[in-house]
Amino acid sequence: MLGYNRAKGLVNLNQKNLHSLTHYYGIFCLLSALLPTLGVFFIFTICDDLVFAELVKEYIPNEVINSKDYNFTIVLAQINNSVEGLVFGTPPQWVTNAAEIWKSWVIKSNILTMIVCAITILTSGFLSYKKIHSEFRSRNAVEKIVMTILGVSSVIAILTTIAIIFSVVFESIRFFALIPYDEFLFGTVWNPQFEGAERAGSGQEGLSQYGAIPLFAGTFLISIIALCVSVPIGLLSAIYLSEYASSKERAFFKPLLEVLAGIPTVVYGFFAALTVAPFLRSSGSMLGLDIASESALAAGLVMGIMIIPFISSLSDDVINAVPQSLRDAGYGLGSTKNETVMKIVLPAALPGVVASIILAVSRAVGETMIVVMAAGLAANLTANPLDAVTTVTSQIVTILVGDQEFESAKTLSAFALALTLIIITLGMNFYALHVVKKYREQYE
Amino acid sequence: MNSKKNDLKSLELTVGDVFSKNARLKARNVNVFYGENKAIDNVTIDIGSKEVISFIGPSGCGKSTFLRCFNRMNDTIDSCVIQGEITIDEENIYDKKIDVVPLRARIGMVFQKPNPFPKSIYDNVAYGPRIHGLSDNKEHLDNIVEEALKRAGLWKEVSDRLSSPGTGLSGGQQQRLCIARAIAVSPEVILMDEPCSALDPIATAKIEELIHELGNEYSIVIVTHSMQQAARVSKRTAYFHLGKLIEVGKTKEIFTSPKHNQTEAYISGKIG
Repeated sequence: MLGYNRAKGLVNLNQKNLHSLTHYYGIFCLLSALLPTLGVFFIFTICDDLVFAELVKEYIPNEVINSKDYNFTIVLAQINNSVEGLVFGTPPQWVTNAAEIWKSWVIKSNILTMIVCAITILTSGFLSYKKIHSEFRSRNAVEKIVMTILGVSSVIAILTTIAIIFSVVFESIRFFALIPYDEFLFGTVWNPQFEGAERAGSGQEGLSQYGAIPLFAGTFLISIIALCVSVPIGLLSAIYLSEYASSKERAFFKPLLEVLAGIPTVVYGFFAALTVAPFLRSSGSMLGLDIASESALAAGLVMGIMIIPFISSLSDDVINAVPQSLRDAGYGLGSTKNETVMKIVLPAALPGVVASIILAVSRAVGETMIVVMAAGLAANLTANPLDAVTTVTSQIVTILVGDQEFESAKTLSAFALALTLIIITLGMNFYALHVVKKYREQYE
Repeated sequence: MNSKKNDLKSLELTVGDVFSKNARLKARNVNVFYGENKAIDNVTIDIGSKEVISFIGPSGCGKSTFLRCFNRMNDTIDSCVIQGEITIDEENIYDKKIDVVPLRARIGMVFQKPNPFPKSIYDNVAYGPRIHGLSDNKEHLDNIVEEALKRAGLWKEVSDRLSSPGTGLSGGQQQRLCIARAIAVSPEVILMDEPCSALDPIATAKIEELIHELGNEYSIVIVTHSMQQAARVSKRTAYFHLGKLIEVGKTKEIFTSPKHNQTEAYISGKIG
């Protein structure tokens, strides 16, 4: 702030021949003083623990280091606990000593950090302050800084995505070393047990079977049920909202519909498991149908309700974006309202509508909570919506929840499932983009 | 009797001959309100059969609003209220018994910006005949489409690519496509709302030529900002100012010897 004010003050004095507007000089000073300081601060906070860990080694007695069950990480954790004031039993004297020293380092490093930050902010502020003269193009400099910040942000997003994919890929490679991929992809029985690792060593037929087809079949069965519910309801309500509803009705209904999108999926899960599923079961038994209490139908229906706002809200926006001139043309030729909507507005809005449906599909495929709570965990390969099925996501959850040994094929299979899911959704997104592009070429 | 008296009242406002011998559309004492705002003030005019008449006037004078009264396009605007009487062949178009759908088939409209549907050229022209059930078989529909495109002077340019999108045509071609689309339902009257304002001079010349030809078969009402265009295409001209119809007359007379001083001011470039 100081740099900002000083720059502004200085700039006000000789405003005549400035290249840029005054406040650009102020912003430039501010940015160039703050950004390096922030950087320095983060480096210090991250590094001090690492440095301390190295330094603290000196304070560990030799006999501890030389003992056979020495593990530096555990010792470090002991010291850290002591620093935090968490003491279990009576730690050895050297641990308490090391902790005391560690504490004093922390205080010192905090002071050091503050001093270094202050120096950085002053020097970089001063440097940028000195840079200010009438020739200096601060507007361009600010543009560059802003561009860099934006660029770095998007790079972080992209890198995270790549990192996620790689972490999944590496674990999956380990899984496919244990289980052949054709068995995984085309096997029709999913029955993970913990002999997986042992089985790979011996090459014997174990009890475990990792055929992913039932899981994907379950996923798609539930997604299709969800789409059967959400596409008609969502699309028709979008048409009503954008074409027929008065502005008052629209102002009332649209937010209400969007509230559906804000309900946590766990709550939908309750609803599916405690309300919809028993209802389906009792009405099914009245008709003489045997409906499992955890059925694909219940999960699919509730998931469909969850997806409605995605489809309706997006489609509504797209339909609204269709130019009024097209509607006028339709009316001018003597179309009724319905003809105009169905034959002119909807075809023109189709790419956007398709995009909204694809988004809804990827939501449905990736949805976990509802399925875990309502669809059950039995990996049945069935097309009957009244049976219990399970999905890829709910299997991943069951496999990874709780303490698991990481080397077993069962745990690793979660990553293979995740990888396949990623590949399938990516493929769907590419296909969707392709479809949208094709329509766009045709219609614009 | 009553209507005769009203006619006289509005004559006090309008200079020139508002009546036409073989009138097809008749507007009598039409007032249009947008909420509190009076957009059209007591306008009476006849539009003759097979006549090209142009509405001119400064921006916001209500000429487009008045044009849209003829095919009830103002119905889509909630706050718009229309008083008075407009008849086509002695039928009141604002009568409750009149269905707006066949009315709009009788009175076609071409808009300011070319607005072809995002469909193929063929489907654009065939749209009207299809929704009005004008043809029973594909062959007949093909004929209607071909005939409409020929009349709009577009057939030679697009006959080999009827299935390509209408939006891929140039601006002038798109506007002629819109005209073809309008005449495909064989209307009696065509309303044109500044049909050339988004076009370049060459495309404009083509459209004007087309209007000239179509004037032999249809009544055409054209709203235009260009006085040269009004002079070129129309036989009669009506000058609007602030929602009032100031002067109506033969185009030649309006442009050479306007009777009303406001008309003269506009023609000579002092207003507008």
